[in-house]
Amino acid sequence: MTSYRSMILFTLPAMIVLGMFFVYPIFLTFQMSLTNFTGVGEAENIGLKNYDRIISRSRYPDALWVTVKFTVVVVLIQTLLGLAFAAMLHRLPAVRNFARAALFTPAMMSFVVVGYVWQFIYSPFSGGLNAMLRGAGLDWMAKGWLGDPDTALYAIAFAHIWMFTGYTTAIFLAGYANISSDIDEAGRLDGASSWQRFRHLEVPLLAPSFTINIMLSTIGTLKTFELPFIMTRGGPDGATRTLSLEIIEQLFGQYRFGFASALSIIMLVIVIAVAVFQNWYLRRREDV
Amino acid sequence: MPALNIRQLLLNVLVVALVVAMLLPLFYMITMSFRTATEIAEAPLGLPDRLAWENYAQAFGGMNYVRAVINSVGITISVTVLTALLGSMAAFPLARNTSGFARIFILLVALGLATPNFVTITPIYVIFRDLGLLDTYLGIILAFTALNLPLAVFFYVGFIGAIPKDLVEAAKLDNCSDWQAFWYVVRPLLGPATATLSLFVMLMVWNDFTYPLLLLTDKDKFTVTISVYRFVGNQNIQPDMLFPAAVLGSLPLLILFAIFQRRIVAGVTAGAVK
Repeated sequence: MTSYRSMILFTLPAMIVLGMFFVYPIFLTFQMSLTNFTGVGEAENIGLKNYDRIISRSRYPDALWVTVKFTVVVVLIQTLLGLAFAAMLHRLPAVRNFARAALFTPAMMSFVVVGYVWQFIYSPFSGGLNAMLRGAGLDWMAKGWLGDPDTALYAIAFAHIWMFTGYTTAIFLAGYANISSDIDEAGRLDGASSWQRFRHLEVPLLAPSFTINIMLSTIGTLKTFELPFIMTRGGPDGATRTLSLEIIEQLFGQYRFGFASALSIIMLVIVIAVAVFQNWYLRRREDV
Repeated sequence: MPALNIRQLLLNVLVVALVVAMLLPLFYMITMSFRTATEIAEAPLGLPDRLAWENYAQAFGGMNYVRAVINSVGITISVTVLTALLGSMAAFPLARNTSGFARIFILLVALGLATPNFVTITPIYVIFRDLGLLDTYLGIILAFTALNLPLAVFFYVGFIGAIPKDLVEAAKLDNCSDWQAFWYVVRPLLGPATATLSLFVMLMVWNDFTYPLLLLTDKDKFTVTISVYRFVGNQNIQPDMLFPAAVLGSLPLLILFAIFQRRIVAGVTAGAVK
């Protein structure tokens, strides 16, 4: 309907911006990943050495493992928590709007603010969490949550979940709004209990909301950088050093542009593979 | 059925209690922002003895708050307008075209949607340095626009595809050029799509940390998030600096949210579902 000429003209501004700051950078990333570029001067072509280094040093697979752990914990708990809230709020119209907005509030804040506030909540001496535990007589549980390699990653994951549970809840509630009230009514008339309706009617019918929530939170957490950067800088002992954090660290801490590029390529491959797989699997599940 | 009503009531109370528990960190942030460092060290959980406004005075000046808010507003609005304009323009011919060019463009957009910005951050830094775009408003606006354009194109393609094509055909019969058909027929219909998209883009740009961290070093160009970060610092964090800065950093969006909460939640979820 539009001529070829105007198609080019209409898309030209977007093409220029995307070309300069997305397509060209991706090619450059590939190219730099095969060099030892340090940001200045000449880059020497070193073939696949960067990739070889990534595989052979345990530091980088470890960062990947941290990222995967973080993603699995966040996606799992956030989805279940959001679903639980949505299922309850679906049954409680009186408080639904208030609760939805209240739960959503943390998602309005930036990672910087959330990171700093939770960092202080977790701090060993004047932090809110330990003060609460001591107040409840649970002194033995009080600790430096972010200073212990066993708890640091989960503490950060908890802050992340706190931030986005309201988002997940809102998406599930939108899914609930799409379920015809006839279906729920039919279940009720057949004598299905609230739990049975939830388990056998609502959960299957919410499949599209599961797809959206899981994909959004997976893509969001696989690239997690801000919270670990602000709260722990990847410590203690690398326990919270995610892949993105490693990229930024190599780039601006060590000026290893080539090496950071190789890590970026690995990240790109992982993210796209996960997105394609999830999309295929979750969509197939929707049709059942 | 009174028994059921009591159950219902208890469930309501339980849910409200859970929601209030989720809001405790916010309450904590606000309460702590009015306490002095000594008070917090002595009693980590107490209420303020008196409102320590001097915390705010210090944060307000130290963060160069007014300047930071102006920077954030300017950058956010520029990116939002640019993204909506370029995105809807590109989507207009792409929505109904199946030529090879259109397909490649859409594929590129899909790739852009899935690509984390960490993949392109290294070359963007190098390109920016070579073009002298580091530490410029133009640079950061372009970087954010490129980051959000795939979403915009994707969004508008879906929306424009749903507009009856007779509308555009009729305009063409009336001798409208393609540009006139876009600007006078299609663009006015894009209001709801633009509102939802803009909400997404605004939230993303306002709260983003990575780009301003890497691309801006000039204090006078800092956005709100980065000025919170630089003001609080990362060593030896002082609560009487942290909490007021956190409150000031979130205040603009929290005020907007208080006013438009229903529309914001509805918009963001509708956008995600699309």
